[in-house]
Amino acid sequence: MAEASSKRILIIDDASLVRRYYRDALERAGFEVDEALNGVEALEKLLGEPADLLIVDVNMPQMDGFTFLRSLRQQAPPIASIPALVISTEAGPHDRRAARSAGANFYLVKPVAQDVLVQHVSIMCGLPA
Amino acid sequence: MPLVRKPSPQTPAAAAPPALGEGTREQRWAAVRAAAERPDGLALLADALSRESDPRVREAIFTGLARLATPESAAVVVPYLRSDDANLRTGAVDALRAMPQACRAHLPALLTDGDADVRLLSCELARGLPDEEANRLLCDLLERETERNVCAAAIEVLAEIGRPEAVPSLLRCGARFAGDPFIAFSLRVATERIAAPARDWR
Repeated sequence: MAEASSKRILIIDDASLVRRYYRDALERAGFEVDEALNGVEALEKLLGEPADLLIVDVNMPQMDGFTFLRSLRQQAPPIASIPALVISTEAGPHDRRAARSAGANFYLVKPVAQDVLVQHVSIMCGLPA
Repeated sequence: MPLVRKPSPQTPAAAAPPALGEGTREQRWAAVRAAAERPDGLALLADALSRESDPRVREAIFTGLARLATPESAAVVVPYLRSDDANLRTGAVDALRAMPQACRAHLPALLTDGDADVRLLSCELARGLPDEEANRLLCDLLERETERNVCAAAIEVLAEIGRPEAVPSLLRCGARFAGDPFIAFSLRVATERIAAPARDWR
C-alpha cells in the first residue's frame, strides 16, 4: 500500500498563511510538501519535478488558478495528468463550472479544516482516508 | 501657369491608427500599445477592455491603464474586481497593485463594498499603502466584517505589515470567529509575527 511519505503535494496559493496552514496539516500527515505563489511559479517547479497532487487557489497574481490548470493540461505527460484540488473562496456555481472546465478534479470552498484537507488529499492520492 | 496643388498622396492603410476592437489578436495588441501613448488613451483603453476577450490583449490593456496610474485609470479597472471571470479579476488586481497611489482614493470604498469578493481582493491592495494607513483601514474592516474569508485576507496582510496597535482588532476578530481553525491558526501566526522583535516600521 502506498504511503503519504511517498507523495509530493504542491500547494499553489499566494496567501502565505494559507500555504502554511495546508503545509502544517499535510506534513503532520506525512506528505512531502512544496509551495508556489502563483501559476507561473508552479509550472516552473513542475517542469523541474512533477508532483502527485496539486492544491490550487483561484485568485492569484500573474496567473490565476484556472489559466494555470488550462496550461497544465496542455503540458506533456506526466505533468498534464497530475490531479488538481482547487480550493477557493469563490463559492458560486460559475467558478465551480470554470474549475471543472479548466481541468480541476475536485473543488472545495475555503475555509477548509485541516482534517478535511488531509482526507481529500489522501483519497485523491489513492491512500486510505 | 496657375499653381496647381498636387493631390496629396493617399495615406497607406497601414499608417492609419489601428482599430482597437478589430483585426487579429496581434493587431489588437499593437493597437492597445499605441493607444496607451495617446492623450485620449484612457477612454480608448476603457472601451477596449469592455469588449476584449483575449487574455494577452487584456493584459496589455491592464498594463496600459496601470502605466497611466491616475485615479481615473484606477476607476476604469475597479469594476473588473467584480467579474465572474478569474482572468479578469486577476488582471484587475495586478493592475491596481501596480498603481498604489492611484488606487489609494478608491480603497476605503472598496473595503466597505457590498460584495464580499471585492472586499476580499481589496485587502491585498491595502498592502500597497503606507503601513499606518493600511493598518487603520484593515483594523476598521476587522472590527465590522462578517465574512470569515474577508477577515482571513485582512489577517494575511496584517501578518506581514501589522503594527502592535492592530493586535486588539485581531483578537476581537478571533473572538467573533471562535472555533474556526483557520482563523485561529492565522491569528496565532500574525500576532507572533507582530510581536517579534526587531521589526523595522516604515
